[in-house]
Amino acid sequence: MALKLLRQTLIKTKQTTLLRRFSTAAAVASPTEYEDTEGIIMKGVKIAGRPLYLDMQATSPVDPRVLDSMLPFYLSRYGNPHSRTHLYGWESETAVETARAQVAELIGASPREIVFTSGATESNNISVKGVMRFYKDKKRHVITTQTEHKCVLDSCRHLQQEGFEVTYLPVGSDGLIDLDKLRKEIRPDTGLVSVMAVNNEIGVIQPVEEIGRICKEFNVPFHTDAAQALGKIKVDVNKWNVSLMSLSGHKIYGPKGVGALYMRRRPRIRVEPQMNGGGQERGIRSGTVPTPLVVGMGAACELAMKEMEYDERRIKGLQERLLNGIREKIDGVVVNGSMERRYVGNLNLSFAYVEGESLLMGLKDVAVSSGSACTSASLEPSYVLRALGVDEDMAHTSIRFGIGRFTTEEEIDRAVDLTVKQVEKLREMSPLYEMVKEGIDIKQIQWAQH
Amino acid sequence: MAASGVASPTRTEVLQLYRSLLRVARQFCDYNIREYTKRRTIDAFRDNKNLTDPSQLSAAFSDGKAQLEVAKRQAVVYSLYAPKVKSIMDIRPS
Repeated sequence: MALKLLRQTLIKTKQTTLLRRFSTAAAVASPTEYEDTEGIIMKGVKIAGRPLYLDMQATSPVDPRVLDSMLPFYLSRYGNPHSRTHLYGWESETAVETARAQVAELIGASPREIVFTSGATESNNISVKGVMRFYKDKKRHVITTQTEHKCVLDSCRHLQQEGFEVTYLPVGSDGLIDLDKLRKEIRPDTGLVSVMAVNNEIGVIQPVEEIGRICKEFNVPFHTDAAQALGKIKVDVNKWNVSLMSLSGHKIYGPKGVGALYMRRRPRIRVEPQMNGGGQERGIRSGTVPTPLVVGMGAACELAMKEMEYDERRIKGLQERLLNGIREKIDGVVVNGSMERRYVGNLNLSFAYVEGESLLMGLKDVAVSSGSACTSASLEPSYVLRALGVDEDMAHTSIRFGIGRFTTEEEIDRAVDLTVKQVEKLREMSPLYEMVKEGIDIKQIQWAQH
Repeated sequence: MAASGVASPTRTEVLQLYRSLLRVARQFCDYNIREYTKRRTIDAFRDNKNLTDPSQLSAAFSDGKAQLEVAKRQAVVYSLYAPKVKSIMDIRPS
């Protein structure tokens, strides 16, 4: 009897712990300040458990198989891959080269064309600023789109301050650029065309093959930010005719803090390095290559190649389930961006007559985002939605659902229930919605000024 | 992994591997990983149900065994760092 009590008190958790009572292994990690057994209190909000994660475009959970490949390099194989004189260096270097080959295989390139960086933002910086600064005597013009990632737009703004000219191509209401406009904007001194493959906010897939063909015709280097596309759609650097491609590790179930840059060798594209130092990574990006992160990215790429078809089939079904589930119960739901040319795991919805911030506050059990993580600090509505021509009020109320490899049907159903409930509650309280139900056209109202 | 000279797995071995994978899936404390491991095992075995070529069979079987080892290790790692509060999907019945 006493033995049973002793056993119960010593074993803190139930069947989830696999360590036996007198094992010398470390105990379970201590809880953080905001968690206790009843729930989580953070930022004044109390929730019973960790929210269900539907924000795959911001980042993705690390796949356990990827973690398994990374751990030995934190434990015993901790050498610097640039150490040439001992086993630690040799084994690290072998691991880095294996990872390089894995990344290259996923995009149809040769391992010699891959440079590891700290992420897609760094790769974008090297591509945009590095290319233009290298060819600054002959080429003074850059073409990009209005819906690019902030790092590309900010790099272009920097170039403008240095005296280069930048054209920001507009997009249609479906999020796609007009190829004729692109053709017209190309000049003899255009040094780079930068168009992202899959948009992180709305999920539309740009016509990269056609853009590549136009760039080849005019002999202009083509850079694409494939951070969201890698491992999700078929990426082939030769079919797309890209000269430079930015890749990110943490969007494909790999670790954060690592990315890669593809640089074509035939015809060779040259960049001015942004990180100077010991000449690692062929002088393009100096600095110790982080072996565990790079190995993780390689493993993630290999997994992505094996699982791409299975994941896509599944995620497509989940997306339909989500959209149909919401549309069945409420109206006034608009999908932002083209439905046909879209990556299936990204669903950006706007709910009419509902305020965005309050909707997000009510959905505290679901981890979603409105706009993109990198612009969520500012109060203004997302520039991507503004470029699509979405009205201010609809842009404020947009929510981005990100579905991934680990999302389950139950999570989708729960998200649908919670969203519908919250939207109905907010609409109930909205006087604007009452007026719409009575048939009044909101846009025609002359608001009296007090 | 060279499959020549390695005999094809017997029906019992395949079933044992299947059951072990599902058992290890149950041991994950993370809701998403647990469901994924279960689902992927069932779908992978179903997709390979009609394999007849012995080298393909052995390759798939050894791949499954390797995945089982990975899963066993990771189940321990995840339980060492399990958050005190579980996912909301594990707490409230829908």
